[in-house]
Amino acid sequence: MTIKIVSIIFLGLASGLAVGSGFVAFLTVLGIIPRLTQLTKTMKMIQHYEWAVVIGAISGVLASLRDPLLPISAYFLIPLGISGGVFVGMLAAALTEVLNVLPILAKRIRLDGEIVILIMAIVLGKIFGSIFQWLYFVHIK
Amino acid sequence: MWEVNVLEKTIYIRMRNRVQTKPEERVLLKDVAQIIAPDAVLSSLKEMLVHLVTDMDRNIIVIDVMHIIQLITTKFGDMEVQTIGPAQTIIEVTNKKKGISIPFFLLIWFLLFFGSAMAIMNFHDDVSMKSVQEKIYTIITGKNEAKPLLFQIPYSIGLGLGMILFFNHFFKKRLNDEPSPLEVEMFNYQMDLDNYVIIHENKESMKRVNDD
Repeated sequence: MTIKIVSIIFLGLASGLAVGSGFVAFLTVLGIIPRLTQLTKTMKMIQHYEWAVVIGAISGVLASLRDPLLPISAYFLIPLGISGGVFVGMLAAALTEVLNVLPILAKRIRLDGEIVILIMAIVLGKIFGSIFQWLYFVHIK
Repeated sequence: MWEVNVLEKTIYIRMRNRVQTKPEERVLLKDVAQIIAPDAVLSSLKEMLVHLVTDMDRNIIVIDVMHIIQLITTKFGDMEVQTIGPAQTIIEVTNKKKGISIPFFLLIWFLLFFGSAMAIMNFHDDVSMKSVQEKIYTIITGKNEAKPLLFQIPYSIGLGLGMILFFNHFFKKRLNDEPSPLEVEMFNYQMDLDNYVIIHENKESMKRVNDD
């Protein structure tokens, strides 16, 4: 019995370790935290940002595994929604950039100087797609 | 005395990275390089013909610094040439100033718009975003809601904000003066192209010793 418990604990710890380090590695490769510190000029606070990510991930784990309930005002959802959206948006932008699609496209149509217009297309497309999905798409049966 | 003499006989050349010309144009030394030289030769050096763009040329020409040194030494034999910086200049012949073709542009714009809209929907489906959002709604309010729009609408707007933040463009207006990652990426891509061209279009830098 003790052996079983110990091995289960070990397996849980091991898989958590793998997933957690994978998550951090993913964030590091995409360079979102450096980008944010660069924009806000808060390089010195980077350790606190690391802890923010760690604490955020752990509370996400708790929320998804333990189903807690904190009945507070629904308007708390608005800042949560915006910050979640900004985070996913930055992930998406970083992924787009890693794939190096835009420079090539912009050069092909000789739009090197006005690449902002192409970014606008992507940004508006994302917003449109997301809103369309939540307002309409998910309710089609 | 001797040192002064050396100084007076030295020509310093720094090749430019990229130059654009029109077809059928005379490319002069001052177009492809920065020059420091004694006043006596400076003006004739500046006007020295380096390359005449003809129809035979393709739209990229690479001028090697060796070619320049050869030209200078045949004209001013006793001068010493010092080169600084890049070893070649890429001349880009811009044929009949092509503008952006509007239908092409609109096509790409719509492609990106619709493509990213669909990509984000696929992503949401893939990671079960909907059930996560419903769960967050339940955690915060204690109620079940099939349409947690109070979370979803700010989320959607935040999505766009995050992308703008990452690319550092508030549409036309910048948040700060640093180049955006995309501009750096464009620059890197251009540098890679230039490097390729330097090696492949320059007859001197690729030579087979044993051509059999």
